Amino acid sequence: MPDFSAMLASFTTPESIGTTPQSLLWMFPLLAAIALVYKATKMRVLFMRKYLLDSLLLFMTISVFLIAAIIVLNLVDWLITS
Amino acid sequence: MANSANNRSGPDHALWLVIVGLAAWAVPGAGHFLIRERKRGVILFVCITALFCTGLYIGSIGVVNRVASWPWFLAQIFFSPAVGILSKLTQNGQFPTYGRPCDIGQIYTGIAGLLNLLCILSSVYMAYCGRGELIGAEEDESA
Repeated sequence: MPDFSAMLASFTTPESIGTTPQSLLWMFPLLAAIALVYKATKMRVLFMRKYLLDSLLLFMTISVFLIAAIIVLNLVDWLITS
Repeated sequence: MANSANNRSGPDHALWLVIVGLAAWAVPGAGHFLIRERKRGVILFVCITALFCTGLYIGSIGVVNRVASWPWFLAQIFFSPAVGILSKLTQNGQFPTYGRPCDIGQIYTGIAGLLNLLCILSSVYMAYCGRGELIGAEEDESA
């Protein structure tokens, strides 16, 4: 019972996450959830293997696109400020 | 087939669509579960609930606040009506949240709400198309 209370209490205070480049890694669980939910609603019939492969492909596609966007934006920033 | 098409235009079918939509809003994945898309329902429930709970864990329950951050609340409320109850607890500011954890928590919970909106629409559309009648019947026959 005390463990359950401690678990509930952990939802009342924010975690300590700094404003660092590493905090961008939090986008990956979000992207995984988006890919899994989107493919679950889109596929007509759910075959588990195909579903997981399609979700993985979508996850990789969005991740690569976002990383490319980050690189381009940093390059633009570097060109403007240098 | 003609009989099923006739059923789809009646008031009972409209009521069924409303029930599916409300169930999908009340519990993520429940709409799909009702129309016998059980595997899909379980996947959606696990993914969306895990995403929402992760957001609450990172930013605290203070990220749900219909007074201080109402634009996010508009997205979060699609997760479940329970978010409205949660917002009543937090609106007097007794659960402060700030900085990057607040941003991440709001993004996670907001996206979870919008993903559930997608699921609500998907389940109602599948119910409208009679997916539960067709695929559910096939599953029942094979079992």
